[in-house]
Amino acid sequence: MFYPQIYQALKQYNAFMLFLLLSMGGSMAMAQTPAPAQEGPIAITGGTIHTITNGVIEEGIMVFEDGIITGIGQDLSIPEDAEIIDATGKHVYPGFIQGQSTIGLMEIARIRESTDLQETGAINPNIRAQVAFHSASEHLPVAAVHGVTTVVPTPRGSLIAGMPAAMMTDGWTWEEMTLREGLGMIIEWPSMRDKDDYARQTALLEEAFEKARRYQRAREAAAEDPDLHHPPDVRWKAMKPVLEGEMPVFISVGEVRQVQAAIAWAKKENLQMVLAGRRDLDLVADQLATENIPVMLTGVISGPARNWEGYDEGYHIPRKLYEAGVDFMIAGDAGAASTYRIHHHAASAVAFGLPEEKALRAITIDAARILGIDDLVGSLETGKHATFMITDGNALEMWTKKEQVYIQGREIQMLDKHKRLYKHYKEKHRQVNP
Amino acid sequence: MSLKIVYLFLTLNLLFNTQLIAQSTRIIGLREHTPAVFAFVNASITAAPGEVTQNATLVIRDGFIEAIGRGVDIPADATVVDLEGKMIYPGFIDAYTHYGMQKPKENDSPHWNPHIRPHISSAEQFTPDAEKAEMLRKQGFVLAHSLPAHGLLSGSGSLISLGEGKARYQLIQSDLSQHMTFRISDQIDSHYPTSSMGAVALLRQSLLDAEWYDRAQSAYQEGHVGKRPETNLSLASLHEAVKSQQPFVVPVNDENWFLRAQAIGEEFSLPVWVRGSGYEYRRMEAIKKTGLPVILPLNFPDAPDVKSPETSINVSLEALRHWYFAPENPAAVISAGLQTAFTTHGDTDNFLENLRMAVSRGLDKEEALAAITTTPAEMLGITQHYGSLEPGKKACFIIATGDIFDNSTRIRQVWVDGTRYPVDENKKVPAGEWLVETPELLEGAIISIEGSNQRLRGDISLDEQSVRFSHVGFDGTRIQMRFTGDSLGIEGHVKLSAHLGQEELLGLGNFTADPFFTWSASRKAMPDLPEERTKRIPHLELTARYPSMEYGFADTPEQPQHVILRNATIWTQGPDGMLQEADMLVSDGQVAAVGHQLEAPRRALEIDATGMHITPGLIDPHIHTSIAGGVNETGDAITSETRITDVMHADNVWIYRLLAGGITSATLFHGSANPIGGQNAVIKPRWGMMGEALLIEDATPGLKFALGENVKRMETRYPGSRQGVEQIIKDAFEAALEYETQWQRWEEGRETMPPRRDLQLEAILEVLRGERSAHVHAYRQDEMLMMMRLAEAYGFTIGSFEHTLEGYKIADELRTHGASAVVWTDWSSFKVEAYDGILYNARLLEEAGVHTSLHSDNTQLATRMNWEAAKVMMTGVEETIALDMITTRPAQIMGIDHRTGSLEPGKDADFVLWNGHPMSTFTSAEQTWIEGRKYFDRQEDLRLREEVMQERTLIINAILDAQNNQN
Repeated sequence: MFYPQIYQALKQYNAFMLFLLLSMGGSMAMAQTPAPAQEGPIAITGGTIHTITNGVIEEGIMVFEDGIITGIGQDLSIPEDAEIIDATGKHVYPGFIQGQSTIGLMEIARIRESTDLQETGAINPNIRAQVAFHSASEHLPVAAVHGVTTVVPTPRGSLIAGMPAAMMTDGWTWEEMTLREGLGMIIEWPSMRDKDDYARQTALLEEAFEKARRYQRAREAAAEDPDLHHPPDVRWKAMKPVLEGEMPVFISVGEVRQVQAAIAWAKKENLQMVLAGRRDLDLVADQLATENIPVMLTGVISGPARNWEGYDEGYHIPRKLYEAGVDFMIAGDAGAASTYRIHHHAASAVAFGLPEEKALRAITIDAARILGIDDLVGSLETGKHATFMITDGNALEMWTKKEQVYIQGREIQMLDKHKRLYKHYKEKHRQVNP
Repeated sequence: MSLKIVYLFLTLNLLFNTQLIAQSTRIIGLREHTPAVFAFVNASITAAPGEVTQNATLVIRDGFIEAIGRGVDIPADATVVDLEGKMIYPGFIDAYTHYGMQKPKENDSPHWNPHIRPHISSAEQFTPDAEKAEMLRKQGFVLAHSLPAHGLLSGSGSLISLGEGKARYQLIQSDLSQHMTFRISDQIDSHYPTSSMGAVALLRQSLLDAEWYDRAQSAYQEGHVGKRPETNLSLASLHEAVKSQQPFVVPVNDENWFLRAQAIGEEFSLPVWVRGSGYEYRRMEAIKKTGLPVILPLNFPDAPDVKSPETSINVSLEALRHWYFAPENPAAVISAGLQTAFTTHGDTDNFLENLRMAVSRGLDKEEALAAITTTPAEMLGITQHYGSLEPGKKACFIIATGDIFDNSTRIRQVWVDGTRYPVDENKKVPAGEWLVETPELLEGAIISIEGSNQRLRGDISLDEQSVRFSHVGFDGTRIQMRFTGDSLGIEGHVKLSAHLGQEELLGLGNFTADPFFTWSASRKAMPDLPEERTKRIPHLELTARYPSMEYGFADTPEQPQHVILRNATIWTQGPDGMLQEADMLVSDGQVAAVGHQLEAPRRALEIDATGMHITPGLIDPHIHTSIAGGVNETGDAITSETRITDVMHADNVWIYRLLAGGITSATLFHGSANPIGGQNAVIKPRWGMMGEALLIEDATPGLKFALGENVKRMETRYPGSRQGVEQIIKDAFEAALEYETQWQRWEEGRETMPPRRDLQLEAILEVLRGERSAHVHAYRQDEMLMMMRLAEAYGFTIGSFEHTLEGYKIADELRTHGASAVVWTDWSSFKVEAYDGILYNARLLEEAGVHTSLHSDNTQLATRMNWEAAKVMMTGVEETIALDMITTRPAQIMGIDHRTGSLEPGKDADFVLWNGHPMSTFTSAEQTWIEGRKYFDRQEDLRLREEVMQERTLIINAILDAQNNQN
């Protein structure tokens, strides 16, 4: 009686396959060892430093201590006890930021047990992505060794889906990997394909905000007047920073009608807003610029949606936003395994007219600013985290090798599952061909 | 005077006159002997297309035409009907209907596959359907060629009269034709086929089986020893139909399927009639060449939704063009000289309106009439009795109020086999203007009513004051109206009702509280006719495009005799390696020379490629685009009988986009649902050409295999595990060998019962013989190892593993066996078997000496394979090797390396001009050439976009103009 039930349950969720996988993989399936904290000061010398915010420094020096950049420039005194890392002929870039991802929340897409992306119900403002962030995910080292040092696991699948967090891609626990929590409130703007369904969904959204305001009012009143009492509500409580304009709403949209509806709504509710989307945003670029709405472009590499559009439609969207003066960052496709190639999205836009400098900013400082973490990362400046990479060439080129990556001054182990399996089976090849 | 009375008398509805048929029915009760002799006088008679006689007489007797023409004597026993001002036409014949046909029943096929039902007889199925018959008569039809609707071979067609009465009276002729379709009916419960390519395969197999069945039965009858052949009425019927050369009527969805219908007809020597799609105009040249008889529907599309900016951007130029061109299709097909009949199929109610529209768009009136009278009669072999009006033919004709092609003309009566059916003749129309005659209070008032009988509105005006009716209703006999009388000086509500006579209203009325008064009115005017739809569409200057959609070319790109490209970095991927500041000469579509400062023929087209890179055209050995009707045949685990070449649909903008990404060759694969899938197609994306013309004829034939999660996913089907995958493939191999043995024994005379040809096993046998390459979808090392050992046991070598995610784990085994590896660069973790996919796969395979290529398996990814090669470089693979992985290597796997993949003299001039290093992420393709023809040019692309926008604007404006006029 008992066993068949378990077997059924396993079968239902494909868990049996996962079980097989885990038992097969054994020690093979372990992530690389996180790096220890920086000990003494380190100076990177001789390399071309792409500061992003203060231009490119040829043969520059960058010094960092306790994970923080303490100096950067051409003529810079290096502390005597500093470890010198010669980067002559190399390039130094701040780590890339992937602004929306399933990484850490999803290991294998088809296996439900490995997925923690979506919570039950439509109104989930209290959801915090970082607490489910799987710090031993095999996808994290892949991102890290390719220079993606900050990722934003993003809850999905609800009208109000919760709060994404900025996470470092190296560390032992989610706690120490959290760069900043509560970056914003994810709102998935309802589809406008079905009029009735759309009306229902927007009513639900409006109602949530109205209830949350009522709640704040009641709690404030209770705080003032001991005769009044109101019990806590985890959902409405979580919306306080949003209502007070301290936390932006990240509204994801799929078409122009949604863009205009979302803008009008956020204005009415007096919210700080970031628009997340891709398709057709170029069609309303001027409005986005005029209304001063920061945009998270969710992917550049994708095919045109309509037959009449140019083959390169997607690649041109960043350029068009740029030319219209829209403040935007580029986030890649949300796949955990493809997090490592965020720069490909930015670079492909360069092939179709986006200035290279802007492409780089779109996955570093502009991303950091729109996500509200630019005091920590996004550029190489004194006082910011020593989170960067040393490369053998232009970091936007796909062929470029990331030779060493640092996160908060920690020299991370340049080993991911891909490299590990390569080495493992290279050994098999060696044994077969002595 | 008396004639008019007779005419009115005849408008009473007579029931079907059974006396007009010689019959075996036993009469119960009194026998009826009503005369059936009529003389229609003073009509304008079109006896056949182009044969019009004014003031003519038509005499019919007992359902046959007795006399026709001028100066015809009116028989003394005839009832005379005066048709002054009216016109008579031959009754129309619909050459393609499912009139009176039934849905399939369970277990009604003796064939193993219920889609194969040629034994179904429309004559047996036919059940009169009074409503449908009336619908057809309203459009002027008197006869229908009716075919069972469901099934790939759906059964035989019959000729059916559209009168009313019992089936035995309406059925005129059975077993006229066979209905053969490519549509998998949802009314038939069957697991196979699920795809169009499966449908084609099953049709071909069935036609082969029918032929075998006859031979096997004969052999058995002649006393040969062996297994008794099955008794299969389905195959017997099919064989009979083929042998007697019955027409196979094939409905198609578009011009591509039209040609497939022709191909299958040619292969099996079947006389094919195509029931067209309305898209024939898009490929008129190819359609014309088929020379096949066509039965065309006139179902013109509604205008696409262009009402708002956000809806109009979602409308394709393809749809816009079709809206404009569809009404010209009938004229185009007829002008091409194909024998053409029309059918009401698809839009019965608007047939006449559409016919008139087609005439307004270039269709000759006589040709139009022929397509519904003489031509279908000829096709169906019934000219002796039908199709025109001559003495001795059946009395099947139409009485219309005028020229049938005039929008205002209404059909009044349809005579079917000598029986009269009125059409809307007795329908009363309250709409129009009425002059009130009594009572005095309302005398001189004008009642205006408009709208259809179901939705009427109107007003009443008196002494320049007018009041809108708050209500107008009509029940078919009486009209009701209501209005507030104040402005006419009448207090309160006024209710009016009236009996609607021919030209008068006889009414009752009352004021709010008063008793009845009576009123009367006479008709002052008939309602305005609706505006002609045909005149609403302005003429547009639109160029031909191939395909007829976005980015379609007006012509095939020209092939200059000589092209010289100067001063480029040329990646030959051949023995010459990479040449800096080099030239390439292309002559007659082939690479003539690559080198420095080449001499070029004087008239060579010179291209300055300074600063550019030239590479061979890129090759993607694995995509699934441009396959019509399903990429997978999921109806069975072994579907080697399916062929991608049967279902190629090149009118797909992604073909153009492949070119924009530098792709010049690709393999189109069956999906990965089955351990043994279908036969692949190797193509060049020659944009503008039809499917077949994309094929590289001398490529190595291939067959798709698949292992792992995808093939074992279907819970009810074998295999359910990787263990079973091995066994089912092995079983198929054994079956193929046994099949070979059977044929050998037959040929050696050791068997007396002829074996049947088996398309499924033949393709597998080709693999075992090494004549067809096995391309095996696989992720995990264990399954690849299994497959290699299986192949070795059957003496062949795997052509390639596709995806090969864990190839790096068995690199040495792959090399030793000799299988190529076709890989993604970085796809992993989307499912369990993909979890160990690594970026270094290609590198390790390469280091171990495995023949390695990249692929996309995704059409968007296919448009940027150069960037995929850059990812391989990132892992440490040298750049020319990385480029080999998207050029020479896949060419070798596909067996096209003798003609493409590298830039060497004698090879096809398939190449790409890049505006930078071909693998740089900042680079894009400037030009893509196939066989010395420039198929893509970035500048030309910008011009095409401009054209696309202009054309969209033009057509959208035309739609809006038409809609404005309508309102």
